[in-house]
Formats: sequence, C-alpha cells, structure tokens
Amino acid sequence: MDAILPVLLFVLIAAAVSVGLLVFAELIGPRRVTAVKEMPYESGMDPAHDTKRRFDVRFHLVAITFLVFDVELLFLYPWAVASRSPAGIEAAVTDGLVSGRGLVFAGAMAFTALVVVGFAYDWRKGVFRWR
Amino acid sequence: MVAATFFIFPMTSFLPSPSTIAALVKIGLLVGGLMTAAAYLVLVERWMAAWVQDRKGPNRVGIPLTKIKLFGLGQPLADGLKIILKEDFTPKHVDKVLYTAAPLVILAASLAIFAAIPFGSVMPPLKIAGLPDPVPFLVAPGLDVGVLWVFALSSIAVYGVLLGGWASNNKYGFLGGLRSSAQLVAYEIPLGLGLLGVVLAAGSLKLDVIMNAQAKSGTWYAFAQPLGFVVFLVASFAEAARLPFDLPEAEQELVGGYHTEYSGIKLLLFLVAEFLHMVTAAFLIVIMFLGGWHLWGVTGSSQEVTLLGAVLRFAVLSAKIFAVILFFMLVRWSWPRFRFDQLMNLAWKVMLPLGLANLVTVAAVEEFRSHLPGWVAIAIPWAVFFVGWIVSGLLTPSGTDNTPIRTRGPLDVERELSHDYAGAR
Repeated sequence: MDAILPVLLFVLIAAAVSVGLLVFAELIGPRRVTAVKEMPYESGMDPAHDTKRRFDVRFHLVAITFLVFDVELLFLYPWAVASRSPAGIEAAVTDGLVSGRGLVFAGAMAFTALVVVGFAYDWRKGVFRWR
Repeated sequence: MVAATFFIFPMTSFLPSPSTIAALVKIGLLVGGLMTAAAYLVLVERWMAAWVQDRKGPNRVGIPLTKIKLFGLGQPLADGLKIILKEDFTPKHVDKVLYTAAPLVILAASLAIFAAIPFGSVMPPLKIAGLPDPVPFLVAPGLDVGVLWVFALSSIAVYGVLLGGWASNNKYGFLGGLRSSAQLVAYEIPLGLGLLGVVLAAGSLKLDVIMNAQAKSGTWYAFAQPLGFVVFLVASFAEAARLPFDLPEAEQELVGGYHTEYSGIKLLLFLVAEFLHMVTAAFLIVIMFLGGWHLWGVTGSSQEVTLLGAVLRFAVLSAKIFAVILFFMLVRWSWPRFRFDQLMNLAWKVMLPLGLANLVTVAAVEEFRSHLPGWVAIAIPWAVFFVGWIVSGLLTPSGTDNTPIRTRGPLDVERELSHDYAGAR
C-alpha cells in the first residue's frame, strides 16, 4: 500500500486538475449557440453521409498484429528483469529450481525465435503491406 | 495546482505520514512544473520556428499595462488566459459523454505517467521534516513496475485519441483517430523492444535503478546499445506524434485530425497532453539511454550525495532533457512528413526487425559478459548496429522511397484487385 499510495494520489490529482480546468472554463466562458456552429466541420461543405460507415479492414489487421506481438513481448519482461537481478535466476539456480543459467537463456532465445518465425510468416503473407 | 493538493489532503489525513506529505509536495511540484513547462516550451518552439524561418517570433507580450516587453515572456500567460475565456462549445452531433471524456483521459494519463519517472537523483536526509532517509526525486519510489506503468499509461493516450475521433462524429476526426491509433499501436512494439534491452541490461523496471546502473558503469546505454537507442528514439518520436510522424494531424489532408471538432479548453487539454507526451519522451530517452543525471567527472556516481550534489544532478538531468526537447523541435522544422504507407513500412518492416536484432544482441552480450573482453562487449552491438542499418536499407527501400507510387510503372489494376486484404497470392 505504501508503494502504491503516491501513485493513486497522483492519478486523483491529475484527474482533478483536468476536470477542474474544464469546469472552470465552462463556468466563465461565454455561450452563443448558432445553427451553423452546430454542424460538423467539412471544409465549408454541407456534410454528406453519415460518419459511422465501414472503414478499411487494414486497421483491424494492424490491431490484431499489435496484440499478438505486444503480448509476446510482455512475456519477455519477467525474464529480462530476472536475468540480472540477484533474486532472480541466480537465486533459482542456487535453490535448484533451474538446472542452469544457460537453460533459461536458451528458453528465452527459443521463444524469441518463435516470435521471429511468426513475424516472417506475417511478412510473407503481406500483413505489413500497406497499399 | 495548490488548490487541488489541499482538496485531496483531508481524504488522506487519517494517515498523516511524512512520506505521504513528501509525496504530495512532489506531486504538486511536478504538476505545476509540468504545466508551466508545457506553456513555456510552446514559446520556445515558436522562437525556434521563427529562428529557422528567419523571422521574428513572439516578442511583444510582456507585463500588461506597461511598455515592458520581456522578449515575449508573457505570451504563454496571455494565450492560456485567452483560451480559458473562450466559449467551451460542444457541437450537437457529437457523443457528449465520450467527447468530454477524451481530453480528460488523455491529459490525466499524460500527467499521471510522471508518478514513476524520476526527475533527479536523491535529496540528502532532511532532518527537519522527520524524514530520516534520503528523499528520492520520484513520486512513487516503491513502485516496482516503473517502466510498465509508464508504458501502460502512454497506451491510454491511444484511448483519448480514439474516443476523441469517434465521438466527434466528423469524417476528418474519424479518419484522424483511426490513423493515429494505428500509428501509436504500431510504434508501441519497437518502443517496447528498445525498452526491453535496457531492462535486460539493468535488471530492473525501476527508472531510478536504470539511471544508477548507468552511473555506476559510466557507460550510458546509448553507447552500449546503439541500435536500441535508435529504435527507441524513432518510436518515441512516433508515439509523441511529432513531425516527421505527425500524420494524425496532417493538416493538408485531415484538417486537425482527431481534434477537428474540439475548441476552447478541450482543445487546450489535447494540446497540453500532446506536449507532455514529448516531454515524457525526452525524459525517457535521457533516463534510459543518456545516463539520466550522470555526467562524467561532474556528478559522481555514488548513492551518497550532498545537497550541492543533489542540485547539480537535478541541473544535469534538466539540461539533458531540455537539449533533447530542442532536438525534437529542430527535427520538426527540418523534416518533411512521411506518407502513411511509409510510416507503416518503417514500423513493421524496419523498426520491428531492428528491435528484435537489438534484443537478441543485448541478451547474448549480457549472458556472456563475464567471458568477453570489455571492448568486445561494446564492439558487438556497434557491429550489429551498422549491419542492421545497411541490411534494412537494402531490403526495404520502400520505407524511404519518396517516389509517388504512380510513377513506379503502370498500375496493374487486375493484379491489385486479385489480392485480398491479407495480400495472399
């Protein structure tokens, strides 16, 4: 709790500052509503069609690819932290939980190799081609 | 800012520990300092623009009702006052809740990032305040997940952009939001890869530990992991949506991008948040790759520090951050903007493989460091850096090719249409 309390305080204060600025401006600003102001801005043209239409599926592909690679990278963080800290892999080797450092390293590299294989497959399939 | 601090205070008064009060003081200083810094950095950027374009920048606004001009130092105050006095207008066609939430989310997140970002080394113990231990220049020193917190909150910026673009119910806003989120999401992976190398070398997710590790060895990670530095630098330019990566607001194509329908204070919140993203990026670049508060022969590297030493370290860190911010601004005024396909090519086909190469190199060097002579441990990453540079340049020329697509040969419509969206043949 001691570690997380300042963070919570910071989030609260940051939110309070943002909301405070907004409310303050809302209170003291003028208010003049006209019909033209209410229209969506389309470079001076009368708006045509609805905005919420179908959009390019490529954005969806980017999102999926991002999800895959980002999660795969997140798996590497625990290893990255543990590999150098004294309470990490060193301790695990001493306690006999792991047979050796080399095995952990090989495992991490094998995982990275799998990511690279997936990446090469995606590239070959043209996922990254933006035309 | 002070008012906000007092507003929160009664809620926490049931545990009035000195560390809580210290945290509140640090939060107050940071929030006030960041808002002021954002305002004055805008002025610096306008001066820089004027200098690059050989004209006079803002130099008139000084003290009101006098003739004292003060080189235009009153400009940010005048601008801020004006934009706060503007009408806070919400158009009829927007989704009101999301439209209001978007700037709040993005600004609160970009401020709260600084909970895990150190802004100096440590203060020597303050005897008066009942704090027996040295006070770190960090709001949440006990937070073990420092880098992940920074990473998570900078991802929340994507929500602000997407919500803003979607709720605006405007075609420019919608397209800008889509593009922007695709860009932010694509560059988050190289950003994470650059980060991973540093975490691997320092063995901690805490940013202050990362700085200390660099100070102790005397080798900044920019020299030990040049490839990671370049990947992280480029990705953080893209994450901060600064030119050459400011496609979310490519004004010739998208007017204002995701904030086309915003005006008054809500626009200000977006713009401040955007500036804070640049400041955050500068902080991260300096802390993770440029040694943080460490400077050879000036700051020392031990954990024990005198008052003068603490001030000196703070000054060194601030100077480095200011230099990186000036670099951001110079780049803005000297580079043209990428096209969107180039942007995506650069993220997926250049930065991601380079980041993976950096990760494997750093992992191998760190694993076998005790068996390697010192110069080899430095030489290998540099060799990989140059090889990666040349190979990526040769393999993916489209990332930097500026020729318009139509001049690359006749467009084969049949062939183009025969591809489905995944590009399978």
